Amino acid sequence: MQKFVDLHKRNLLSGLLILVFVWSLFSVNWGPDLFHSGGKHTILQMVKSFFQPDLSPEILQLAVTSAWRTLAYAVTGMTLAILLAVVLGVLASGILYNGKQRIWVKSSLRGLLGFMRAIHELVWAWLFVAAVGLSPFAAIFAIAIPYGGILGRIFADMLNDVKPEPIQALQSNGASRLQLLCYGYFPLAAADMISYTMYRFECAIRSSAIMSFVGLGGLGYQIHLSLDDLKYHEVWTFIFFLIGLVILVDLWSRFLRKRLVS
Amino acid sequence: MSPTPVFELKNISKYYGEVSSLSSLSFRIDRGEVVALIGPSGAGKTTLLNILSAMLPPDDGTFFIDGKPVSSLTSRRQRARKLGIIRQQFDLVGPLPVVHNVLAGRLGEWSLFKSLLSYLFLQDKELAMHALHRVGLKDKIYEKTAHLSGGEQQRVALARLLVQKPEVILADEPVSSLDPARAEDIIGMLVRLVKEENQTLIASLHSVDLARKYFTRIIALRDGQIFFDLPVDQVTSQQLSDLYKIMEMKEDAEVC
Repeated sequence: MQKFVDLHKRNLLSGLLILVFVWSLFSVNWGPDLFHSGGKHTILQMVKSFFQPDLSPEILQLAVTSAWRTLAYAVTGMTLAILLAVVLGVLASGILYNGKQRIWVKSSLRGLLGFMRAIHELVWAWLFVAAVGLSPFAAIFAIAIPYGGILGRIFADMLNDVKPEPIQALQSNGASRLQLLCYGYFPLAAADMISYTMYRFECAIRSSAIMSFVGLGGLGYQIHLSLDDLKYHEVWTFIFFLIGLVILVDLWSRFLRKRLVS
Repeated sequence: MSPTPVFELKNISKYYGEVSSLSSLSFRIDRGEVVALIGPSGAGKTTLLNILSAMLPPDDGTFFIDGKPVSSLTSRRQRARKLGIIRQQFDLVGPLPVVHNVLAGRLGEWSLFKSLLSYLFLQDKELAMHALHRVGLKDKIYEKTAHLSGGEQQRVALARLLVQKPEVILADEPVSSLDPARAEDIIGMLVRLVKEENQTLIASLHSVDLARKYFTRIIALRDGQIFFDLPVDQVTSQQLSDLYKIMEMKEDAEVC
């Protein structure tokens, strides 16, 4: 009986949401002003340039150095983020503590992790550029802090979700809490942790590219400059390099995951 | 005067809310005994083993290990030397190679540094090799534990107990997830190793046949009380069928 009521409520909610969506369509002004009149031409131009990216040596060289810089920011930022996440994640999972202490440490660290990731990397980038200027450190910290927050939170959850039986067995073997961490929690959660970190690394590369819009060199900065000059051919060259980077990381992570699972 | 028993329980009770899971159990277990704990599901076998392993405090009664209260086992090392526990096969760390699961039996003796070092250079390797040899898994030493079959995993758990060398082994349904042939193989091996090491064993079992074949004493629990506690040769078939008999009247009463 209880279940029927719940299901019924869910259907009611879905119906309500669909109605709201349909209603929202009426507030759109379906006139000729919906699209910018020159937009069609611009889009055509962009599509055309997609098939003719600028492959001149200067642009290619610029793309390679920018891609390298983007990758470097992402790798350094992620390295720092992983260090932060492992330390804060382990503490935030509460597996090293007992009793009253545990709740206090756990909630305050989860709060800290929440703060770190509540602010988008682009905003962190602005803050750091304002503070330390256009230096690579601004980019690295801007990635390390929010990504450390995200990874730390996920690591803490993964450590909390580890199966309890092996942990209890290790406890009866006389393992201390730190030994439990090295012989139980980490080995049991490692595959998930690494696989998620690789996914986040992919995101970090995109973030690193976007962040450079604020003036910290890299692919995003070049895309920004070329767009301003309406040089769509160049824009596509840089975008292809960005896609290439992401695909490379994806291949690497797939290779790693395969080795971990088997 | 008889020597100090390993376990001495006097009027041990445990309640879950209003329901009593164990009511007023009293018995003693001497060094070197091989005891099977049998009884229908929900009779309180696991609760009793958890109390014996000092993981669960009883609500009532007194409980001594080696003539001392449980609270005297303060350090993790002391406790690991006294009590070893084996449960169903799910208590190994699957992603680690077999050897590290076996050497986990040494964690109580090792410092953190030594246990980390063991990931790079195996510590006490001969001990692990010897234990794996005794359970017949010497060739699987570097295999990933999760790749082993259920029976092999329980043998790894036995090897871990050999390395831990506790005085008493508590086994909670150690073979409930194995087929009968493998179950018998594991129980036979467990009892043999316990006798070779002069340890004391208390194992809860579903299989009455295994209990009669390998154990010297049977404690039968029913509804949280001792139904009988006898040397294995005095247990009759009538007692066993009474132990598992479903009380129709009582079940009906509970439903209403």
